[in-house]
Amino acid sequence: MQVPDGIALDGVGKTFAGRGKVVEALRDVTLSCPSGSFTAIIGPSGCGKSTVMRIALGLESADAGQVRIAGAPPLAAARDGVTGVAFQDAALLPWRTVRRNVEVPLEVLRQPLRANAAKVQAMIELVGLKGYENALPGELSGGMRQRVAIARALVTHPKVLFMDEPFGALDQILRRQMNLELQRIWAETGSTAFLVTHGIDEAVFLADRVVVMHANPGRIVEVIDIPFARPRAPELFSDPAFHAVCDHIAKVLHGG
Amino acid sequence: MAAEASRWSGLRNAAILLLLWEIVGRLDLVAGGALPGLTEILHRLWIDRADYPLHIWATLYASGLGFVIGNLVGIAAGVIFALFPAALRVFRGVNIAVFALPPIAIAPILVLTLSGMAPRVTLAAMGVYFVTMTATVIGITQADSRARDLIRAYGGGRWDVLRLVQLRGAVPAILAGLRVAAPNAVLGAILAEFGGGGRWGLGTYLLGSLGRGEPDRLWGIGLVATVIAGLSYAGFALLSRRMLGASRAVTLNAAVPEAAPAKLSPVPRLLLGLAAIAMPFLLWWGFIRLTGVPDLISKTPWGVIDYLFLGRSAESAQARLLAALAETLPITFVGMLAGLGFAFLLAISSRLFPRAIAAFMPVALITQTMPLVALTPLLVLILGRGTTLTLWVTISVTFFPAFVTLAQGLALVPRSAEELPRAYGASRWTEIRMVTIPASLPYLFAATRLTVPRALLGVMIAEWLATGKGLGNLLNQSRGFLDYGMIWSVAAVSVALSVLFYQIVVVIERRVLRRVGMSSAE
Ligand SMILES: Nc1ncnc2c1ncn2[C@@H]1O[C@H](COP(=O)(O)OP(=O)(O)OP(=O)(O)O)[C@@H](O)[C@H]1O
Ligand SMILES: [Mg+2]
Repeated sequence: MQVPDGIALDGVGKTFAGRGKVVEALRDVTLSCPSGSFTAIIGPSGCGKSTVMRIALGLESADAGQVRIAGAPPLAAARDGVTGVAFQDAALLPWRTVRRNVEVPLEVLRQPLRANAAKVQAMIELVGLKGYENALPGELSGGMRQRVAIARALVTHPKVLFMDEPFGALDQILRRQMNLELQRIWAETGSTAFLVTHGIDEAVFLADRVVVMHANPGRIVEVIDIPFARPRAPELFSDPAFHAVCDHIAKVLHGG
Repeated sequence: MAAEASRWSGLRNAAILLLLWEIVGRLDLVAGGALPGLTEILHRLWIDRADYPLHIWATLYASGLGFVIGNLVGIAAGVIFALFPAALRVFRGVNIAVFALPPIAIAPILVLTLSGMAPRVTLAAMGVYFVTMTATVIGITQADSRARDLIRAYGGGRWDVLRLVQLRGAVPAILAGLRVAAPNAVLGAILAEFGGGGRWGLGTYLLGSLGRGEPDRLWGIGLVATVIAGLSYAGFALLSRRMLGASRAVTLNAAVPEAAPAKLSPVPRLLLGLAAIAMPFLLWWGFIRLTGVPDLISKTPWGVIDYLFLGRSAESAQARLLAALAETLPITFVGMLAGLGFAFLLAISSRLFPRAIAAFMPVALITQTMPLVALTPLLVLILGRGTTLTLWVTISVTFFPAFVTLAQGLALVPRSAEELPRAYGASRWTEIRMVTIPASLPYLFAATRLTVPRALLGVMIAEWLATGKGLGNLLNQSRGFLDYGMIWSVAAVSVALSVLFYQIVVVIERRVLRRVGMSSAE
């Protein structure tokens, strides 16, 4: 049997109408991410990257087109625990400790907490927050909060993982470190990853394919395959071939 | 350390105030002894000590029971309203009426239709219901939209969002609500006591002592009522501080609030609107049928119309009602505008003179817990029974809540928004013009909504107890003449007027805030 694509968008369009203004956030967005692939999406601010992700998650409905997550409609996929998500904004529950925040997806999916305690602990350690299990979000730095959000996204071992600028608030060193970790986790879990980012180098380092979007209306202008072998080592960041790909993407991004 | 210093300066200010009070009181400087010294009041309290327990117990019992009932109903209703917007729409008329009605206007009605402690408990519960219901709805619907998205992204349904995010997220709002609701219950119970019935209760005691020209006793009763209300406030303030700790949202949620489900087609919308208008009358009618009080005494909506427009004495009734309104309304507006205006100026200038205002804030907060309107007899002692009294009562009951609403609203303006102009070298005034005043707009409207009913309540109480004019007096007189039609008419008209003014403010608020892209404050 053929494995359905992890993420399949077909002719998706979305228009926001609010307070007199009408914004065509997406026009005819078609994209398929094979199961187990890593896709990065990059584009200027406001071009509709987050909207693509929210539609794929079923948080927003598309005005036109079709969306399938692992072969199912977004909401059904979400209910089956197929998806994991880390938002642009950490979106932690301020009254829950780090551990209890990481447990939220398990609770929503009605998975037993006791049985998953080790998994939760492992995720917290993975993002380097050992010792902060009982801290409240208000007591963490912005970067630490984002790491909690990442741990939370990974805790269900999702088949399809959505990330909206998950490393936005991290410093360069930590960001590289998290990039490596993400690559490792992704390779281990075999999930389909979808990463929204502003960092070209991050996109190229992590992804099999980089999707470049332009704004007004939000649309895909080019999909660039990244040929580098896996697993990718930090040395790749200083490889001339790596820089060539980055330069090409920068050109496309700036309307080349 | 800053907190420590401000606590000390607060204590020092309080000590200075008390000392001044004592001196002024001892020397009989205010209105020939209308304000006794604190020690004189305490001395009198000691002499009267045998009287107090039963009065206090009666008031505590009514307000405590009302508090519990009002909260249970309020929280249950809040959850239902938050989950089913249609229910919120249908009950909108009832909710506005409960919020806007001057309790004193319906106190006589409750005394006519219910017996024993029931009128007091009901009035106390009504004061609580609205506060708690609103806090619950706000807490639930304004839960962090990002957190809501997260739950939905994992396929969580409405119940999961309610369970994991909204109910817990509503706790601070509900606790803050309880803090305000507790003194409200005390006020409701006391106002119902003014309305008649029963021998015991602080309100009864206060009213009974009003004619005896014993300022020190009146002040003693006022002091006790204030302490009871203040303690209830402090209790819940402490509880919410204990429970909330560091669990405040750490970043400002900048998501545009979802438009209320306005996607209804015109016909259902019209039906819901009509239901909202019909509902209060339906409840009124149902209440009378349930209590089974004879038609002579209790008037249905139709009974009131009959009395005012069709009956034999309709003309004279209308004339008396209109004359009373002509006396009541102007002073209500003047008092309200003055109270709001002072509050706005003071709140804005709190940015210019933060220290002066910081010293004033505790005083303003304390007055929040006082059953201010119930203390009108004290003002009567000082100001006499003229129009000045009405004006001051009105200003004092509108100014403080408006100020607290505005000041606390302004305190919510994110630090970074305020610092931005400063970072570009803006003067304090520019900063205020660019950030503080626009940011205060939603709170100014919220304060206005809050003060409309209070102003009317203040005026009516002053009229009832002291000045012998206007709606309040008409209500009181009608009780004496057993003019049941008029009692119900005054109640209906004053509730209707409050609702109308409230609705006008809401419409203006929506227009203005939509133009500037803001949403209204709770
Ligand atoms: N709920 C909404 N209502 C109205 N307009 C919206 C809404 N959400 C997004 N938009 C508009 O849709 C467009 C795309 O927004 P989106 O958040 O997807 O951008 P983005 O590419 O993620 O930007 P960034 O990189 O800054 O996060 C923007 O013009 C935005 O103003
Ligand atoms: Mg975005």
